[in-house]
Amino acid sequence: MSLFIGGYQGRQIRRRYLERILISVATFGILYWLGINFIKSPSQFFQASIIGLSNGVLYALIALGYTLVYGIIELINFAHGDLFMLSAVFSANFITIWFHKESSGPAAWGVFFMCLVSVMLAAASVNIGIERFAYRRLRRAPKLAPLITAVGVSFVLQFIGLRWNGSGPKTWNSVLPAGKLSFSGISIPYTTMISFAVTIPLLLLMSWIVTRTRQGKAMRATAQDQDAARLMGINVDRTISFTFALGGALAGAAGLLFQQTRGLTSYNLGYQLGLIAFTSAVMGGIGNLQGAVLGALLIGLIQGLNDGLPIGLGQQWSQTVVFSILILLMAFKPTGLLGKAVTEKV
Amino acid sequence: MNKKIQRSLAVVSAAALLFGVSAVTSATAAGKTIYLAFQAPLTGPNALTGQDELTGAKFALSEYNATNPAVKVELVLADDQGDPTVAASVAPGIASNKGIIGLIGPAYSGATQASLPAYKAGGLPMISPSATRVSLTDKKAPVNGFPIFKRVVANDKFQGPALVRYATKGITAPKVYLVDDVSAYGAGLADYAKKTITAAMNVGKDSVPVNTSDYTSVVAKVKASGANVVIYCGYAPDAAKFVKALRDGGYTGIFASGDGTLKADYPVNAGKAAAEGTRLTAADVPFENVATDAQMVAYTKLTGIKVPGTYVTSTYNATNVFLSCIKQGVVSRPGMQNCITNGQFKGIAGDTIKFDRYGDIIGGAAVGAFVIKDGKIVYLGVA
Repeated sequence: MSLFIGGYQGRQIRRRYLERILISVATFGILYWLGINFIKSPSQFFQASIIGLSNGVLYALIALGYTLVYGIIELINFAHGDLFMLSAVFSANFITIWFHKESSGPAAWGVFFMCLVSVMLAAASVNIGIERFAYRRLRRAPKLAPLITAVGVSFVLQFIGLRWNGSGPKTWNSVLPAGKLSFSGISIPYTTMISFAVTIPLLLLMSWIVTRTRQGKAMRATAQDQDAARLMGINVDRTISFTFALGGALAGAAGLLFQQTRGLTSYNLGYQLGLIAFTSAVMGGIGNLQGAVLGALLIGLIQGLNDGLPIGLGQQWSQTVVFSILILLMAFKPTGLLGKAVTEKV
Repeated sequence: MNKKIQRSLAVVSAAALLFGVSAVTSATAAGKTIYLAFQAPLTGPNALTGQDELTGAKFALSEYNATNPAVKVELVLADDQGDPTVAASVAPGIASNKGIIGLIGPAYSGATQASLPAYKAGGLPMISPSATRVSLTDKKAPVNGFPIFKRVVANDKFQGPALVRYATKGITAPKVYLVDDVSAYGAGLADYAKKTITAAMNVGKDSVPVNTSDYTSVVAKVKASGANVVIYCGYAPDAAKFVKALRDGGYTGIFASGDGTLKADYPVNAGKAAAEGTRLTAADVPFENVATDAQMVAYTKLTGIKVPGTYVTSTYNATNVFLSCIKQGVVSRPGMQNCITNGQFKGIAGDTIKFDRYGDIIGGAAVGAFVIKDGKIVYLGVA
C-alpha cells in the first residue's frame, strides 16, 4: 500500500493523508458544533447568522478598498481603515450636527441619502489626495517606503479623528426606521435590511465598473503591467487615482452605514475594523474582488456565530477564532480562497 | 521630565523632609508633636488622586488640632507618584523616621505592595484610603500586608456583592445577565459579583473585550435570555457603547455597573436617554454627602475646594482612626498597631470601623450607590 512506501515520496503521501484527516476532523467538528447549536435554539442560530452577515457586508465594503489598491499598485494601504473611521465621524456630524436630524422620518431619509452621496464623494477625494501626496512619488521606491508611509498616513487620519470626535466613543441616534421584521422568533431590524439594500447595489455597480467599462479595462491593464499600459496610451496616474477614488467611496458608504446602524463613532474604529477587513481581503485572496466579498461575508458569519450562539466561545475569543481559521486556511491555501498564485513582476 | 530625574527628586525631597522632621522632633523632645506620614502620588500624571486625598487628611488634622490637644499631630508628605518603583525608594526613608507612628496610604495598590517590605521591617502601621487590590488583605496571597496594613475602602470582594445587591434592588424576580470586559479590573469584579448571583437569578454571562465596536451579538444574547437586569463590569467608554446598543436593541430593564463606569463623561458619551437610570456603585462615598454643613464650610475654607474629589471620605476616616488612637494616649508604633488592630472606630457617616485580622473592615466598607438622573450622576446612599 502506498502508505507504507518509504523515502521522500512516502512522506509526501503520508503528509497528504494526514492533512486530509485533519481537514475532515475540523470540518466534522464545526458541523457538529453548528448542529447542536441549531437544535438547541434555531431562532438564536438564525439571529446570529443575520448579525454576522450584516457585519460581513460592512467588512466587504472596506475590504474592497484594500484589495482594489493592492491589486493595482501592490500597496497595503493601512490608512484605509482610518478613512472609514473618518467617514463615520463625517456622517455623524453631517446628519446630527449640520442637519439636526435625530429621528426617523421622510426628511431625515432625504438627509441620509444626501449624506451617502456626500460622504462617498468626500472619502473618494480624501483618498485621491492621499494617493497624490503620499504614495505617488514613492511608486518606484522600494516596497517598504510606501508601506511605512501608509502607516504614517493612518496615524495622521487617526489623530484628525481624535481631534474631531474626541478621545472617547460617541453615540448617536439613527435616522433609519427603528422597527424590525419578526417571524417565528427571528427578527431582522430594518437597519440591517437597509445596509443590505445599500451595499449590494454598490457592490454590483463596482463589479460592473471594473469588468465592463473602459475605465475598468484600464484598471485591469494597469494592474497587469504599468509600463505596457502606459505604452498603450492609458493614463496610468489617472487610472490609479480612479482606483483610490473607488475604494474611498466604498469606505465612505461603509462609514455612514456603520454610524447609522451601530449608532457610535470612535477615533480607533479604523484600526479594529480595518484589520478585520484587511484580513477578509487576505482570506479571499488579496487583489481579487469577489474573494474580498466572500472573505468578508465568511469572517462576518464566523464572528456572528461564535459571538452569538448559545454554546460557543463567546466574543472574548472572536479574534482568536477568526485568525486561527485564517492561519489554517493560509497554511493549506496560501493564495486565499479565490486568489491565484502570481509570479513576482520584474 | 526625565523619569530618572523625577525619581531621584522624589527621593531627595523625601530625604529632605525627613531630615527636617527629625530636626523638629528633637527640638520638641517633650513629645508634644507626633507625626503621621501621608503617602500618595502628589506629582506626576496621577497627582490628582493624591491631592484630593490630601485634603481629607488635612481637614481631619485641622479638626483635631483645633481642639487644642496635649499632643499636636503633623503630616509628613511622601510622594510616590503612584509608581511602585518610586514607592520602593521613598518607603525606607519614612520607615526609618521614628517620629512617624502611622501612615495614611499609600493611595495605590501597586505602590502599597512595593512599600510593604520597608514598613513591615519598621513595624509602621498603615491605613490606606484607596488601595483596593484584593490580594493586599488576602491571607493566601504571597505578598499581603499582614499585620501592619489596614484599609478603610471596600475592595472588589465587597463591591461585587454590593453591585449585585443594588442592581437587583426592588426587582421582584431578577434575571441577571453579567457581562465583563476581560480586563484585570472588570473580570475580577465580575468574579466577585458572580458569587452573589444565585442560580435562580442567573440567566447568562458573557465577556466582551475592551474597545469593542460592535455589541449587537451580546445584545441579541441578552434579549434571548430574557434578562431584566444587566450588570456590566468594565470602564465608562465601553459601558456607554454597550448601554446605547442595549437600549437601541429594545432592552428596557435595569443596567448597572461598578466604579469603572462612575465617570462624569459616561452619561454624555452614552447619550442622555440611553444612560438614564443606570445604577452605579463605587467604593467611595462623596464627602459632601456625609459631612455636616458646618464641616463642609470649614473644609472649603481650609482647602479652597467646593466639591471634594474622590476618596476624601475614606482618607478622612483613615486619618481619624489614627487620631482617635493618639487621643487615647498612643505615642509609639507598637502602641498604634495594637490600638488599630483591637480598637473600634466611627466613620464620618456613623458607620463602624473595626478591622478583621487581615486588615479589611469587618462587614465591608461602605459602597456608595449612584444613579444617572437627567444626565447627571446622583448619589443615593450606601448600597
